[in-house]
Amino acid sequence: MFSRSEDEVAIRFSHVDKTYRLFKNDRARFYSVFNKRVKHETIHANCDLSFEIKRGEAVALVGNNGAGKSTALKIITGVITPTSGTVDVNGRVSALLELSAGFDMNLTGRENIEMRGFLWGLNKKEIAELTPAVEEFAELGSYFDQPMRTYSSGMKARLGFSFASSIDPEILVVDEALSVGDKRFSKKCIARVKEIMSGTGVTVLFVTHSSSAAQEFCTRGLVLDHGRLTYDGPIKDAIEFYDKSNNM
Amino acid sequence: MLSFFRGCWEWKSQVFHLAKIDLVKTCRGAVLGWIWLFVRPATYVFVFWLALALGLKAGSTVGDYPYIVWLTAGLIPWFFMQELISTGSDVYRRYTYLVNKIKFPLVAISAFYALSKLYIYLMSMGIFMLGCIIFGYHFSIYLIQLPFVFALMYGLFVAWSVMTSPLSAISKDFGNLIKTLSTPLFWLSGIIFNLGTIHHEWVHTVMCFNPVSFFVEAHRYAMCDNMWLWENPKMLLIFLVVFLATIIVARIVFRRLNTEVADVL
Repeated sequence: MFSRSEDEVAIRFSHVDKTYRLFKNDRARFYSVFNKRVKHETIHANCDLSFEIKRGEAVALVGNNGAGKSTALKIITGVITPTSGTVDVNGRVSALLELSAGFDMNLTGRENIEMRGFLWGLNKKEIAELTPAVEEFAELGSYFDQPMRTYSSGMKARLGFSFASSIDPEILVVDEALSVGDKRFSKKCIARVKEIMSGTGVTVLFVTHSSSAAQEFCTRGLVLDHGRLTYDGPIKDAIEFYDKSNNM
Repeated sequence: MLSFFRGCWEWKSQVFHLAKIDLVKTCRGAVLGWIWLFVRPATYVFVFWLALALGLKAGSTVGDYPYIVWLTAGLIPWFFMQELISTGSDVYRRYTYLVNKIKFPLVAISAFYALSKLYIYLMSMGIFMLGCIIFGYHFSIYLIQLPFVFALMYGLFVAWSVMTSPLSAISKDFGNLIKTLSTPLFWLSGIIFNLGTIHHEWVHTVMCFNPVSFFVEAHRYAMCDNMWLWENPKMLLIFLVVFLATIIVARIVFRRLNTEVADVL
């Protein structure tokens, strides 16, 4: 499908901009559909962002709140489109973004896993194989067959993590997701992520504020600040740079 | 235009599966689940029949077939269309998690939602026809044009949903406008009275531009009037123009707004 050299690159951002237009109210937003000159404020969530991540790399995205990390991750997962610039993603992305999101609250855990499996492109047989593994890892007990609206937030997150980490992704995106549930479960999650990362060719993108977690998992760090890439290098230096820019 | 449909085609297995899930969701939470899907329309049919045929003596205004067959042949497609006109125009809010949490083509959301409603419609139609046969009403060869009508109806309302859902997502005004229009549309489209009794040619011409009217008529051609669609070329042609126009407008709106939908929801 891809040429050989292309195959090595898992994610490539070139000059990616993502702007959000903020309107005074909903009415202004509606007018803007018909008239592009309606007054609005423009927020640059990502600004001229360019980087390349090779297959098999483990990269941490570091930055303060509002630096544009989550926006970049959302672009990678494909749920939002960049305003300008191009993004190439080679490989299937499983995202541990907002773990409890993407589920239908009126369906049971089992049905949700089945649905997500279908959306991921698995067939019936593969889903039947996957479900027990997810069920076991999530430790939901008999709640697995209850509607998800009855779940606690921790249970939703556990199910979300179990699914996203069980489907053999080629690119795994982790957004502060390892603080799922209690300490014991969190440990289990970290072990699982490590296990996935040890697989060959799995690219991992890790978003965090905590430098220790980043150093534990990643070899390379990208520091973002106000939507711009301010540093790209080995994780140690990246963290140092980030800490320095925050006067720590 | 092609990429529009290709998007759906690539995801067809997911579309079928999600349509099934949508049905399951509709029935969830009620012990009688499935039954309600049919009891509600059946009640409507009964009440309208009671009011119109027995109360207002409207039965004589149609042809030489039972009024209830004529009425039901119009009401069942109306239930489908009403559902898609109102809720179909706001599918992104109904399935927000498919828009901004999971990568899923927006067009396919409209496609599976309409499909789930189409299932209910086809089952209602099946029950209705079975009832007709049991009570000794005979359908004719003209019935075979119905699948074509189903396909047009599905296509038009997917296009409708694709066209209107981004607008509804951006502004709730749009959704309210549509809800407001739904009831007048019911009364104006000749669903419970025979448009043929109006003796103004311009009314018929205007009605040709109304797809709801077209579909109701098409059902009655097949099930009551024993006519082919092309025996009324004006109606068919105008409808096809409206159909194409809807697809084109849907495409324009969608291209302009599809990247914004995930940002606003």
